[in-house]
Amino acid sequence: MLRKIFLPSILIVLAYGFWISPDFKEISAGVAIFLFGMISLEEGFKAFSGGTLEKVLQKSTDKLYKSIGFGMLATTIMQSSSLVSVLTISFLGAGLIGLAQGIGIVFGANIGTTTGAWLVAGFGLKVKISAYAMPMLVFGVILIFQKAKSLKGIGYILAGLGFLFLGIHYMKDGFEAFKSTIDLASFGGTGLKYLFIFTGIGIFATVVMQSSHATLVLIITALSVGQISYENALALAIGANVGTTITAIIGSMSSNIIGKRLAGAHLIFNVTTGLIAIVFMSQIMYSVDFVSNTVGIASDNYTLKLAVFHTIFNVIGVAVMVPFIGRLVVLLENTLKDKSTEETTSFDTAQYLNDSVLELSGTAMAAIVRETKHLYTNAFEIITHGLNLKRENIISTMPLEDVVKKAYSKSAIDIDDFYNHRIKGIYGEIIDFSTKAQSQMAPEDIESLYKIKLANRDIVEAVKDTKHLQKNLIKYENNSNIHIKEQYDSIKIGLAELLRNIDLISKMTEEDKIIVLLSKVKVHMQRYDILANGTLDNLIRHDLISNEMATSLMNDSAYAYNISKNFIAMAEIIFIDINSDLKSLSEDMIMNDEDVDSILREKDA
Amino acid sequence: MGIKKFIENVKESLGLDEFEKAGKKKSIKRLLEKLKSRKEILNKVPKKKLDKKEKKELKEELAIISLQIKKGEKILDELNSKSLKTTKNQKGK
Repeated sequence: MLRKIFLPSILIVLAYGFWISPDFKEISAGVAIFLFGMISLEEGFKAFSGGTLEKVLQKSTDKLYKSIGFGMLATTIMQSSSLVSVLTISFLGAGLIGLAQGIGIVFGANIGTTTGAWLVAGFGLKVKISAYAMPMLVFGVILIFQKAKSLKGIGYILAGLGFLFLGIHYMKDGFEAFKSTIDLASFGGTGLKYLFIFTGIGIFATVVMQSSHATLVLIITALSVGQISYENALALAIGANVGTTITAIIGSMSSNIIGKRLAGAHLIFNVTTGLIAIVFMSQIMYSVDFVSNTVGIASDNYTLKLAVFHTIFNVIGVAVMVPFIGRLVVLLENTLKDKSTEETTSFDTAQYLNDSVLELSGTAMAAIVRETKHLYTNAFEIITHGLNLKRENIISTMPLEDVVKKAYSKSAIDIDDFYNHRIKGIYGEIIDFSTKAQSQMAPEDIESLYKIKLANRDIVEAVKDTKHLQKNLIKYENNSNIHIKEQYDSIKIGLAELLRNIDLISKMTEEDKIIVLLSKVKVHMQRYDILANGTLDNLIRHDLISNEMATSLMNDSAYAYNISKNFIAMAEIIFIDINSDLKSLSEDMIMNDEDVDSILREKDA
Repeated sequence: MGIKKFIENVKESLGLDEFEKAGKKKSIKRLLEKLKSRKEILNKVPKKKLDKKEKKELKEELAIISLQIKKGEKILDELNSKSLKTTKNQKGK
């Protein structure tokens, strides 16, 4: 409803403004070009954010100071705290970082955004930047038309910077011409009343433009030609900082609960910082004068002094809020609760798949891998219980002979029921989400995604085979024929060993150990081939089992073989870190059937 | 000259393909080092103190590691010979 009234009203006001003042038209065009430049810049940086994203994030956000530094650096380079916020929500949604790390990045982004004011006040107003804009636009647009992703990305960045420069030029020219007709400064004033009025205007302008950076550039250009007073410019800058949280809140709408919590943290941080700045305005202004005198900024250079003010009040905000990050996390977790966990539904659903992670192919891929691991965890439990074993015993160091003796339950579990509640829904969501994510991915990423989809199918097949195997496992568990009982116990021990090894692989980080253990499970898988190793022939020849038992054993050993084969294939895809060096070598290094045969021959020799 | 050929020429002159191969070589060398040191440790295990099952497991692990080392060395040789060919071709031009 509000949107229906808001947008036409803004358009009417702008149209009226353009009609009565050509200078206003020039300023507005400058803002529009500037915003278009930011969109282009964001597009360019997105082209470079895939692939090693997860690795960089893990290394640069494992400690709070690193998260803050990462936020600062990313915003300084990309010149958009909104983009950094939206990307952080995307990282959170994919489970790549935790809430505390996300808050650290957002805090850092707030300091990083102050570099924009320095660049415009120190460089943008002193040189004729429109002269740089033209070649950038030409080169940028030529590169945008190229097919290569990296060239396209560079093109968007160049064109983005060109539009930013051009926008600043038009804003500056517009304000200079405006000065000769209307003196906007005469509408301003000093005192608490004007402080609140101009803070409100700053918030409103940022909400409309969806960019605090654009508001700040507008403030600096207006200040440079004396269209607003220094005091009012400071209030506008405070407003711009508060208004920018709206962009993050809109970005979090499509995110999961963690994204909403981050947007909440952003709002609390910026409002608190704004309040501190308003309450201690005179003290901060004194600090600005002191810093300006120390670094040699002239007392009447108000644009640079505004940049100093912007930096000081954001740094104060971070310094004040950092000790409370832990409490902030608790507060947000208690107030913004996950509805899906509140509803006591017995159907398990996807945890990492939401629209916010679709922002980048890297986060989408990471979210799908994590969701596949979630599916694996559920399948691991179902298979364990299907074999009537306890999960905690399998993942312990208990001898496998003892593991199979300790039953999970006296009656057989209903695998179909488990499948419907804990596998089917998530599997469907993963396949559906993968199709959505695929449309924005590069061919090499689509190939990786295809392999992940295969891993999901392997997991589901393993669960289905367990269902077939379960029937005879129960039947022959306490059979009076010791020979058939022995064979089924051996199948159980073999599968318990496989599950234990796959669990170990899932927790390993050392590449050499992963490779060796994967090879080991492949060799051990051959034990199920009871036709090849002569076990079945031996049992039949000596009349130790009936024909019915022989048929069951042959079928069930095939099911056990398939469970192992599917789980190993899945482990090769999802437990070797997608960004590790090993991933590029895995296909050449991991054992094939021929290698397994040679090891087995060596063993028999 | 088409844009594709231009990009290929730039990649070749800047050695970007070699950069990728060098990364792969570094990874395989590191992996081989780890596997070899693991083999050394296993070879030093006093076999007399092990029971039959443990001896069998040790033998199997050593066989797997030896095979992995062999595979790794083969990949490394292939990468080295490819680099050599590229360097010769560049010199020939």
